[in-house]
Amino acid sequence: MVSGWQTLKTATRTRFRAWLDRRIPPARSVTLDQKRIFIFPSRVGFFFFACLLLMLLTAINYESNLSFGLTFLLTTLFIVAVLHTYANLSGMTVHGVRAQSVFPGQQAEFELLLERGKRRDHYALHVAWENSDDALVNIVEQDTQTVRLHIRAGERGWFNPGRLLIETSYPLGLLRCWTWVALDLNALVYPRPLACPAPAGISASAADGTAVMGEGSDDFYGFRDYRSGDSLRQVYWKGLARGQALQSKQYAAYADRCVWLDWEQFEGVGIEQRLSQLCFWVLELEGGGEEYGLRIPGATVSPGRGEKQRDDALRALALYGQGDTA
Amino acid sequence: MNVEQQVPRNALIWMILSLFALILPHIERVPLWVIAVYVVAAVWRIQVFRGLWAYPRRWLKLVLILAASGGVFFSFGSVLGLEPTVALLLTAFALKMIELSSRKDAYVLIFLGYFVCITEFLFSQDILIVGYSLFTVLLLTTALVALHQPGQQRFNRGSMKLAGTMLLQAFPLMLVLFFLFPRIGPLWTVPIKSHTAKTGMSDLLKPGDVSKLSQSAEVAFRVQFDGEIPAFSDLYWRGLVMSRLEEGAWRSLRYWDVPAAERRMPELDAVGEPLSYAVIMEPTQQNWLFSLRYSQPASDGLLMLADYRLYSPIQIEHETQYRVQSWPQTPLDPELSAWRRETELALPAGDNPRTRELARSLRAASVSDADFVDRVLGYFTQQGFVYTLEPPLLGDDDPMDDFLFDSLRGFCEHYAYAFVMMMREAGVPARIVAGYMGGEINPVNRTVIVHQFDAHAWAEVWLAEQGWVRVDPTAAVAPDRIEWGLEQAVEGEGTFLSASPLSPLRYRDIDWVNALRLRYDALTYRWQAWVTGFNQEQQFDLLSRWLGEVSPQRFVTVLLLTWAAVLVPVAAVLLLRRRRHQLSPADKHYLAFCERMARMGVVREPWESPADFAQRAMRKLPRYRQEIEAITEAYQDLTYRPAPAPSSSGETLASLRRSVRKLQFVR
Repeated sequence: MVSGWQTLKTATRTRFRAWLDRRIPPARSVTLDQKRIFIFPSRVGFFFFACLLLMLLTAINYESNLSFGLTFLLTTLFIVAVLHTYANLSGMTVHGVRAQSVFPGQQAEFELLLERGKRRDHYALHVAWENSDDALVNIVEQDTQTVRLHIRAGERGWFNPGRLLIETSYPLGLLRCWTWVALDLNALVYPRPLACPAPAGISASAADGTAVMGEGSDDFYGFRDYRSGDSLRQVYWKGLARGQALQSKQYAAYADRCVWLDWEQFEGVGIEQRLSQLCFWVLELEGGGEEYGLRIPGATVSPGRGEKQRDDALRALALYGQGDTA
Repeated sequence: MNVEQQVPRNALIWMILSLFALILPHIERVPLWVIAVYVVAAVWRIQVFRGLWAYPRRWLKLVLILAASGGVFFSFGSVLGLEPTVALLLTAFALKMIELSSRKDAYVLIFLGYFVCITEFLFSQDILIVGYSLFTVLLLTTALVALHQPGQQRFNRGSMKLAGTMLLQAFPLMLVLFFLFPRIGPLWTVPIKSHTAKTGMSDLLKPGDVSKLSQSAEVAFRVQFDGEIPAFSDLYWRGLVMSRLEEGAWRSLRYWDVPAAERRMPELDAVGEPLSYAVIMEPTQQNWLFSLRYSQPASDGLLMLADYRLYSPIQIEHETQYRVQSWPQTPLDPELSAWRRETELALPAGDNPRTRELARSLRAASVSDADFVDRVLGYFTQQGFVYTLEPPLLGDDDPMDDFLFDSLRGFCEHYAYAFVMMMREAGVPARIVAGYMGGEINPVNRTVIVHQFDAHAWAEVWLAEQGWVRVDPTAAVAPDRIEWGLEQAVEGEGTFLSASPLSPLRYRDIDWVNALRLRYDALTYRWQAWVTGFNQEQQFDLLSRWLGEVSPQRFVTVLLLTWAAVLVPVAAVLLLRRRRHQLSPADKHYLAFCERMARMGVVREPWESPADFAQRAMRKLPRYRQEIEAITEAYQDLTYRPAPAPSSSGETLASLRRSVRKLQFVR
């Protein structure tokens, strides 16, 4: 019985989501219009109804026309509030700006931009995902308002936080007006780093790093005393002009001590574990300031170092087997 | 606490304002300690708000609630009834104010406030009170709006604008509902006002009662005639017919005093053209209604009694409107039944021997009953009787002897009493009629305003072949009273409304005061006729006139059509009006720049970004390279950089404007 109920509930929810997806398809920017906005009396609204009923009974029993009048004024105030509450939400545009890439289990930051609809003021908008923290936003003084929400990321790959709830009960609190916005805004979740002993290729070349002198290189290395036979182009003329001894500029190239992290180096473990270990080593090498490249089936990140290199490598790992490299 | 659940300071201030606005109209009917509770509540809440005091603890709250209920019980002797309920509601409002911390409390408080506004109408339906209550509703609604404007930590009068707008938009919808909503009778009996005094003419008339009532400038009722208003001296508004004298006081016959066969008003042949009029009575907490002689009610639910007066089966607790037709010339009771004759001749034996003696001697000297009536009136005229608002007190044993032979000063009830007594003693059926005489004609809307000081008592005498004839002994003493009214009759005495120095009626000789008073009275009449006195009958008339037929389908159609007529424009204003694209200042300047460029031959394509356009423009117009670059940079800065600091964005905007200006003036 319980499981039957659960199944029904799940099925209903699934169908609701599917219907919602057809009605409000995901997009990067969503402008709220009547297709997307739902409105219904709030709990306070129902309490208000109860109070109105009490007032009406008072008016009937005391046959007091003025009490009738005030009861009806409050009733129609509720009707007018429907329009005002609706207008508070409608016309506004939600932009998905940016989602932070994170490791599994971390709080991913999603940045949203709420833009007012043509000079209209929007008050007390409550913005939240199902599992995120929430924010209360007024768009009154400025045309746009940035909202940052945090939500715990799931497993490796693209993480979509689901439908964003924007609701408001402004101005009277008697009605709840809300929308479920599907934003085409995904956070990239990297593999979970997993420590492991260095694979063969890494330790061998890790110690290397001696600069190899040679002409024709582009990287300036230093000065040394002029020796006969040095190219005239190498002579540091500026120094000579200042009265220094004749010196030659020296150029150098480093030995190719780049580390390749290779899919094949991590044999004998499952795919996810392998990705996790690769991830660990990307972070490890990046931390050590080393230059590294990454080769996994379907993606190659040419050697480099720095933040961008790390992000590229982690992105490749995160998207392994996702069929989507965007 | 969640920021959403907090009560913004702005809302708190509006709520404290409503707190005091609510109690003001109730101030005379709540005990003094309730007002003290109010002040304490407000001070306490403000101190909590300033962080100086703490919210009350749970046990303290319990103690306060018990103390308040106990206080109401001790002040009123009961917790049932309207006044104790209102006192309890107001105290609850104040106590809730102290513990107000979350939004949930605020909702309870505000809705309670709305309810307190409703209770005010059970006491007074005055147009000014209604205006004031609407103001209170506005304050409460403003508090409700402010509650949903997070981050408003300062008093903000702007919240009132939205609340006011919404109430104004709701108002026409309310009117439709007001006139359409079916008026059904009470569903169950409810506690009534326990402490309200009965006002107006009472059914127990002792010498001195009417003169006391005549000190009051209150309105008793207003009358609107369909045709011409009869002459002032014909405006005898009959309310009570007093046939029984007991222990020195006159009273009317009660239901059980009258034998069953005599209870109904006899059918008479009406004589002359009827006078049609509507009466709106102020609440009296009594049952009698006022009308001219021989009237038939045109409204349902009114009784006609055998002594030709109208009677309401329920006490008049609210302003009550009824329509009447009268045939003043119709002879009443051409034949007198034996029981009736006996009743209208009855006199308690033994008292006032000199009065009785006088009556007998005057009758002996008269040729007929009618002649006897004239002789008695003549006696009043000749013996130097004085009509006064301040009659001396009379003894309990032989009051009429005291009056006729000793003081010779009296108000209408003295003369009526003495007259009827003498008639009965001499074997002429007679009775006292109490009601009002005259009234003020309001030139603004041609209503007759009858005040309490128009209260009057006169006599009816039964004469063979004429039936009951009205005789007003006061007319014999003070003809001015009958021709002009009380003010003129007691002019020499200077006692008119001497107890109400502030009544606008005392300043009738100041033109603008009088004009204002009469206008306000006309407004009140209209208000009573259409709003407070609106009843099932009027509703039926109105709806059948408007809708042709009264059916649920018509109701729904009218409701929907009228509501749509209001709501569609409101929705349009809310949703469409502001949709007109309002350019930001940066956009405006940039578009001016584009226009200028177009005149110079470089037209911006819709798909071109400012940067691309700038490149192209600079190639075509290298002369203005600097300006184009500066403008584009400033515009991009303003438009695409997210939320710039306000000061720097102002500077950038200024420089953008300057550059565009400069370009406009180059040749």
